[in-house]
Amino acid sequence: MSRSLKKGPFVNEKLFKKVMMQSEAGPGSRRPIRTWARACTIVPEFVGFTFQVHNGKVFTEVFVTEDMVGHKLGEFSPTRMFRGHTNKKEGIKRA
Amino acid sequence: MPRIAGVDIPEKKKVRYALRYIYGIGPRYSDVILSEAGVDPEKKASELTDQEVSQISSVIDGGYLVEGALRRQVQQHIQRLRDIRAYRGDRHRRGLPVRGQRTRCNARTRKGRKKTVAGKKGVKAH
Repeated sequence: MSRSLKKGPFVNEKLFKKVMMQSEAGPGSRRPIRTWARACTIVPEFVGFTFQVHNGKVFTEVFVTEDMVGHKLGEFSPTRMFRGHTNKKEGIKRA
Repeated sequence: MPRIAGVDIPEKKKVRYALRYIYGIGPRYSDVILSEAGVDPEKKASELTDQEVSQISSVIDGGYLVEGALRRQVQQHIQRLRDIRAYRGDRHRRGLPVRGQRTRCNARTRKGRKKTVAGKKGVKAH
């Protein structure tokens, strides 16, 4: 079930403030923002920013484009990696 | 045989049900379209007059996505998910269930026919 419209999109306040600070400081001062806020919805203000979204292990670089608005940051930072099934003869494949 | 929205030629059934053979028209839209067109839903499709058929077609053309156009739209939406490399797009790419279903067993609609793996528990080698 989708989220109640009454509440509006969930946006991590701290992250939003950081974005606003950077965008006020002008386009030259844009630096990737590290964040753990995977559940944060991407709002139009985020377009053109680069985030480093934690996936539980590392920070994945996510450059936000217009198409991504409405999705969550976590959707672009996969938490699992499937390298294929184990092979009896050769052991675990490493890609 | 009446032809509505391209190739679809449902006949012998009441129009309410016949319309559902068109991709993009289900029980709900079938009734909505017929009332908009002013055609009796209980009438058999074969008994439709040419005028009624064109009535229905024009209602569908004017505001309902069906068949090719709808299929294209669905594909575009999937393509969008792939292009922005979202998790859901990735699941589409891999042909796995997109909405968080389990894949340990079942999920055959997405994964296709079973591929038996020799030596797996419970599977006897041929």
